[in-house]
Amino acid sequence: MTLAIDGKEVTVPAGTLIIRAAEQLGIEIPRFCDHPLLRPAGACRQCYVRIEGQPKLATSCTVPVAAGMSVQTQASDDEVADAQRANLEFLLLNHPLDCPICDRGGECPLQDQALAYGPGDSRFREAKRVFKKPIPLSPLVALDRERCVLCARCTRFCDEISGDRFLELYARGAGERVAIAAGEDFRSPFSGNTVQICPVGALTSVPYRFAARPFDLTYGDSVCPHCSAGCNLRVDLRRGDVVRHLARDEYEVNDAWLCDKGRYAFRFPDSSERVTTPLIRDHGLEPASFGEVLTSIAGWVDRGRVGVLTGGRLMDEDYYALSKLARTVFRTNDLDHRRDHGAGFVEGAIAGGGMPVTYRNVEEAKVILVAGLDAEQEVPILHLRLRKAAERGARIVVLHPRRTRLWDVAEHIPCRPGDEAWLLEKEEGRHRPEIESVATAMREAGDAGIVIAGPRLADHPQAVDRARTFASDAGGRFAYVTRRANDRGALVAGVHPWLLPNGRSSIDEDRAEVESVWGPLDIPDRGRDWRGILEAAANREIDVLFLIGVDPLRDYPDAALARRALENVPRKVVQSLELASLARYADAFLPAAAFLEKEGHVTTWEGRGQRLQRVRDPLGMSRPDWEIFASLALACGGDLGFETLDELHEEMGTLLAPRATRHLAVADTGAAPTPVEDGELLLFTYPLLVNDGRLSEGADELKAALADPPFVEIHPNNAGTAGVADGSDVRVTTAAGEATLPARVTEHVSEGSLFVPFDQAGFAANTLLQGRFSIAATIDPVDAPADEDPVEVGAGGAA
Amino acid sequence: MSVTFERRLTRDWDDPGVIAIDGYRAKGGYEALKNALTKEPAAIIDTVKASGLRGRGGAGFPAGVKWSFVPTTTGKPTYVVVNFDESEPGTCNNRELVDRDPHRLLEGTAIAALAIGCRTAFIYVRGEYLAQSLVLGTAIGEAYEAGFLGTGIAGSDVDLDIVLHRGAGAYICGEETALLNSLEGFRGQPRLRPPFPAVEGLYASPTVINNVETLMSVPDIVLRGPEWFRELGTEKSPGTKLFTISGKVERPGNYELPLGTPLRVLLEDVAGGVLGGRSLKAWTPGGSSTPLLTADHIDTPLDYESVAAAGSLLGTGAVMVLDDTDCVVDAAQRMTRFYANESCGKCTPCREGTWWAERVLGRIAEGYGHPEDLPVMRDMGKHIMFRAFCALADGAAAVIDSSLKHFSEEFEEHVQLGRCPLQVEHEEVAV
Repeated sequence: MTLAIDGKEVTVPAGTLIIRAAEQLGIEIPRFCDHPLLRPAGACRQCYVRIEGQPKLATSCTVPVAAGMSVQTQASDDEVADAQRANLEFLLLNHPLDCPICDRGGECPLQDQALAYGPGDSRFREAKRVFKKPIPLSPLVALDRERCVLCARCTRFCDEISGDRFLELYARGAGERVAIAAGEDFRSPFSGNTVQICPVGALTSVPYRFAARPFDLTYGDSVCPHCSAGCNLRVDLRRGDVVRHLARDEYEVNDAWLCDKGRYAFRFPDSSERVTTPLIRDHGLEPASFGEVLTSIAGWVDRGRVGVLTGGRLMDEDYYALSKLARTVFRTNDLDHRRDHGAGFVEGAIAGGGMPVTYRNVEEAKVILVAGLDAEQEVPILHLRLRKAAERGARIVVLHPRRTRLWDVAEHIPCRPGDEAWLLEKEEGRHRPEIESVATAMREAGDAGIVIAGPRLADHPQAVDRARTFASDAGGRFAYVTRRANDRGALVAGVHPWLLPNGRSSIDEDRAEVESVWGPLDIPDRGRDWRGILEAAANREIDVLFLIGVDPLRDYPDAALARRALENVPRKVVQSLELASLARYADAFLPAAAFLEKEGHVTTWEGRGQRLQRVRDPLGMSRPDWEIFASLALACGGDLGFETLDELHEEMGTLLAPRATRHLAVADTGAAPTPVEDGELLLFTYPLLVNDGRLSEGADELKAALADPPFVEIHPNNAGTAGVADGSDVRVTTAAGEATLPARVTEHVSEGSLFVPFDQAGFAANTLLQGRFSIAATIDPVDAPADEDPVEVGAGGAA
Repeated sequence: MSVTFERRLTRDWDDPGVIAIDGYRAKGGYEALKNALTKEPAAIIDTVKASGLRGRGGAGFPAGVKWSFVPTTTGKPTYVVVNFDESEPGTCNNRELVDRDPHRLLEGTAIAALAIGCRTAFIYVRGEYLAQSLVLGTAIGEAYEAGFLGTGIAGSDVDLDIVLHRGAGAYICGEETALLNSLEGFRGQPRLRPPFPAVEGLYASPTVINNVETLMSVPDIVLRGPEWFRELGTEKSPGTKLFTISGKVERPGNYELPLGTPLRVLLEDVAGGVLGGRSLKAWTPGGSSTPLLTADHIDTPLDYESVAAAGSLLGTGAVMVLDDTDCVVDAAQRMTRFYANESCGKCTPCREGTWWAERVLGRIAEGYGHPEDLPVMRDMGKHIMFRAFCALADGAAAVIDSSLKHFSEEFEEHVQLGRCPLQVEHEEVAV
């Protein structure tokens, strides 16, 4: 539709609001309540325009364009400008003039627009409205009701976007205010978004309150280091320290949102635990130069067998360099970034498979099956996109042993952990009755049908493949969603025991393509996976164990095995931000730069590569991981062949260029589903959003707001059989150990299963595990102890 | 000049027996519903259209036309909602209509339901109208008992339920979209239009919202025909209307008059003249949200067109009378206080503007006005009127605008003298 705004013509799709059409022409219309991702409110009345032929002024945020419409803004119509001035005068009547002490001062839409369009002077002689302030809505968000202009962005965000309807407008007239139910905390993992979209300083972040003035800040663009959602961040620094994360608008990824972990867990790069000097073990760990440490490591590598373990949080460039380092210098395939079975033999196709599902596909889908993913807790921004899809009419089905926060917009098919593979496979050519209607809907939806397999499915060797087959049978799309920020990048780079870069197998002819760039590879067909590496280390079949951004004691589902490996392997090289629990084991430490100190890319769960800016210089002597790998290669007498990012990117471009993928015909060697005997329950675990992870160090307000103390969830029928009451202590026993935890008896966990969160402060669930994220367990009631401490945590039995 | 005509809506007011269903039926009650059941819905709508019946809630929109907007092929249910949130200051005619003749409302509602294919109708009662909701509750029970509500009403195969819902005491809930929000259990704030309620109203389904008096006019129209209805009133404002007259008059109360009857007849002949024989200073034609008129307008016929031509609105037909001892600034402040108090808070001009105006007016009334306050007040009317989300603020602006228009000298005298020229004691009320 073509219309004219201030005499300039613009053509926009039908349904576009006038204010959006004006944006396309670069015409700014002042506004407060309008937000492109929220439904029109028409509440603040700031965006008046004149529509020719209409007697009254209109609010441009509520009126869709019409063909041939002629619109005048404040730039070309005096009455519009006058109305906007008057409205600003109204808004400022009760707004306190405390800009000099307000967090928003200097970056405040009200301040900016009052300056640009306001009357400049006040005719107001009365006393302003007074409220008690600030009101703590939660340990993260504080409310100053005097500054509030009642635009209802925050309440609409809670209603329309997160669905966590904690905030509501209360009372009326000039006494109207944003409120929360008495005694209630704003316990939404998306609460911080309301602060960012507040057009004044009414909602403020507790961690940022009075921390900085906008003109004190330096900042840069980055990508959130926490999960695989890939949210676009602005990192704000004051005198070099991170003081704030803000969401950057990126409608293909995070819209304009962040989860509270992404927003508030920002202190880890400045943690007092951070080590920024290379260390070498002499009597104790002693500071040394990079040269000395690298030379020592080169000596160990030269004489020994090497295994490499890494987490999922390095950059694409780091992983590529590591993949090449392991193969060409360490001559091993014993490297892995996973801590589960991964997607089994589907991984090659995933690694080289580009972006089969994007956020946009999710938003526009008609049917979505979410299997093995608690999206709100594991990939929160995907959760918001799923809610958006539901809002647009998509049918969402969640296959999961535990109720998820999609409960109000999705159907839930409860199952025992591990039963997903069984449920998704056909029996005699037919789908099982529980899943039949989903399969039918998927077939009807064609490529608007999506199956999302979450990281929990990877605990079971066939499940991810079954989910993929289920999708392809119906002609739908399939995505395997990993949890950590760059698991996908690690997989693509070939940080994997039998996959080389871009999903090429090291077992067959693919290998030649890699050798044409890297030179001949002197490595076995397949190396050991993370579990094999830990077992080999424990059995002294490995001499040097590299731990790159990973803490085996905390990250792997077998604390006892990790401990044996660390105790038995002769040389441990740690490359990370800090040593933490590895301090007593490390023989050498290489200080890595944090995500905001590096330039490079990370890959979202979709497969989308996103660039990180170097927001600040690496602290101390720390260096980007790939640079350390390149130097280590030289120290070992090898050469990765790149010294600059440009050279590295050029080589990555060769090996990571798009290519046809194959479904590798590799026999799956994974274990069978977790066995459970009669009388036993199946314990399963995954990390909740706010846990004791190392990237949440220092995020005390976040933990105070959202962290749960450790617990075990038990279905009422199982609790009844075992004689366990809700809230009482229960002893959970597995082959690996036992723990005493407070019971949450709830129908929201499937009968026959137990849920414990993976890494909650005060309880490391991996002390109960033996190599998988599920295990057979028994429960017994514990007589309540007389003392006040409800949590008594047993140590790992085998440790 | 006097007025003689056959009373219609109030004809049974002298007979308390009609409050019960037997008395109502003895006077021909529910015959119109039986008659309507024999007609096609479209025929009912045509009859009401032909009568020219206009909405009595204030806007005066033709009722039959409103009904004809309701789409019946959407696959969604349709709803009739009775707006009995009568809260306009000075208005209490709906209250007395229900008090004295509750079944006529149920019958009118049932006929409207037939016309648009509604199977569940709602009556939204102002929260403070406890007595009326009890009366209606009893009447609804009787109607179910007698088979005029429920399954197969009046022996037909049509089902109809009526749900009585009490509000929680907010003027804004008389605004039809705020009423719908409130009825659905949400906060009573107006909704964005479009979609209009006729298309997406209650529970996002096609909905007709009518005033009590409008619906109570319907049974007679169905039974006696549009021509009969048009015998009284004017060409464009046919029929009779209940006027509520209050303030400085000898006999305040609700009086039924043909539309087009001049104020002079209502004030002098019907209500006995200005209290104590004093002279008329100002009056509202339709509640506090309609612009004030003065003694110069005493011969204005009370119909939609004539009142509009005089510069005001017929509104709810609530005439409030000020005499020559009343202070206009004081009156304006009292009325503005009502709007400041009842503004729902959703939009800026209404929320902040009424709050500011009430304070400035209070200062002027008390003698603390500044010369600069008068331009502020003139701007206030300009910047609130037609700028807010809904019409509530227009009502507030109307008071300020019209009082300044007709009585600007009185405002100026307050400022110059530093006191009320009429020596009216300004009562400070904490809000």
